Amino acid sequence: MATLRPVTLAKSRIVPLSEPWASLTPGGGLRRGSTVVVHAQPGLGGLSVGLSLLSDASAKGHWAAVVGVDDPGVVAMSDLGVDLRRVLFVPRPRGAWAEAAGDLLDGVDLLIVRPPSRASHGAARKLMDRVRERGIVLIVLTEPRAPWPLPADLSFHLVSSRWIMSSRLDARYVTLRVSGRGEAQHRGEHVVMVPDVRGRAVAR
Amino acid sequence: MERLLALWVEPLSEERPDGSVLRDYLRVLDALEVLCPFVEPVRLGLCTLPLRGPSRFFGGDEAVFAAVRQIVRDVLGLDVALGVAEGLFCAELAARQGVVLHAGQTTAFRRVQPLAALGHKELATTGRSLGIYSVGDFADLDASRVAERFNAAVRVLHRVARGELAELPGQRDTRLSARLRDARGEDIKGDEQVSFFGQRSAGDDRARAAAHRVRHRLGPDGVLVARLRGGRAPEDRASLTPWGSPSCDERDDAPWPGRLAGPSPITSLHQPVAVELCDDADEPVRMSARGSLSAAPTSLVFAHGSRRSIVWFAGPWPLVERWWASGRRRAHVQVLLDSGEAMLLSAEVGRWWLVGIYD
Repeated sequence: MATLRPVTLAKSRIVPLSEPWASLTPGGGLRRGSTVVVHAQPGLGGLSVGLSLLSDASAKGHWAAVVGVDDPGVVAMSDLGVDLRRVLFVPRPRGAWAEAAGDLLDGVDLLIVRPPSRASHGAARKLMDRVRERGIVLIVLTEPRAPWPLPADLSFHLVSSRWIMSSRLDARYVTLRVSGRGEAQHRGEHVVMVPDVRGRAVAR
Repeated sequence: MERLLALWVEPLSEERPDGSVLRDYLRVLDALEVLCPFVEPVRLGLCTLPLRGPSRFFGGDEAVFAAVRQIVRDVLGLDVALGVAEGLFCAELAARQGVVLHAGQTTAFRRVQPLAALGHKELATTGRSLGIYSVGDFADLDASRVAERFNAAVRVLHRVARGELAELPGQRDTRLSARLRDARGEDIKGDEQVSFFGQRSAGDDRARAAAHRVRHRLGPDGVLVARLRGGRAPEDRASLTPWGSPSCDERDDAPWPGRLAGPSPITSLHQPVAVELCDDADEPVRMSARGSLSAAPTSLVFAHGSRRSIVWFAGPWPLVERWWASGRRRAHVQVLLDSGEAMLLSAEVGRWWLVGIYD
């Protein structure tokens, strides 16, 4: 039987991102082998930002896994543009988040991990090394009480967020500080609307 | 501790040479997953599910029991013994005895069980000679005295008797999930995710193998996939089902009258959290029968006592549904806290539940 590659060449060095994320990142996508950290106070939008990064890749045939996000709102994910047919969820890995993440490395192009507590230096190092070796992208969701112990290749630091309300919650502006290593250094602060009134992520 | 509903189907507790019992057991599990995605296989003949979520969803414990009985009857043509208690040890005993325990009654129930319920013949015999007849008598023995007199296995049973451990060693069949996975083999092939072109890609195969590895590590409900279906509230439209279980319904994007407008919460709690809404006089905010609030909510109070200030709210948006032959009245309210966090609450059966967080 003929096997088909995802629409984007699997050998491509970049996992694609849609706007508004593409214009915030060097090369307009996520570099394979890299680690991305999305850091935010809980409840202010970090989860929406992190999961939104899956949308373009999943829609183009890449698989993703989400480890440690206990109760993912899959309606919201679908509204963000994530193709849920290619997402595996491991909501409650209990003490074994690093092992579960390791199990998934060979099967997905994007791996989102939210460690339940501060990851040890060793576990973080090992996971990042294996991600680099496998050529996938690791997205770590962190909060102040559980920071990632190692520098990331790219980081989105959620600085502030503000809701727009009418007779209901309509949309939210989040301000992100984007930084990283190499070409990703000093990419400045950006405001993104996530979710907008239709649940999508859009540039302001 | 969480109240567990245990289902005991005695004719399914012994395997037959043709493997038909395992297949029947699997059919029951799959049918129950429509009711609750967190059905846990324990061993042949026995499975459990957390009662709180389904009970809230179906409008009470009795409605869940009726639904479960009907499902088992439909699938197997057999009657199921049901019991409710906290912890697997007591839940199984409750099922075998057909007892439904309310929160807080499990300890008393455990204590009156005969010592033999711990499943250790020697302990039961020795206990009798010492005048120890019930699990409660045994629990009252000092741990150091138990340690002097008995081996490690009995010391573990002592902890079960005292309620420090929720289940007996060996109560759960550790090989069951692997056996179920093998038995599900055919279903998995039929349920594979297809690529854009209707064919499996190499990436799909790799993802499938990875999901297998995680399920092997974490158990049958360790890996979930999402499905969307019709429904008004986000918590109804989403379903997360164990990876590899037969798909029960396809994606349905048809608009539903009364669907909540605007963005959906990115965290949708599968077990809603009971909360209290209070007004600025610290009185509880109630929903009237006509669907209005008794006062504007100004604080959100969690069961463990922490309190958050509400700076804005919207709603209520009532939903009246007639489902599973019983009318359900629900209403949603959005609140924005002073920290900037936004949450979705639902009023049902006379109280407030946190159902979603707009993280």
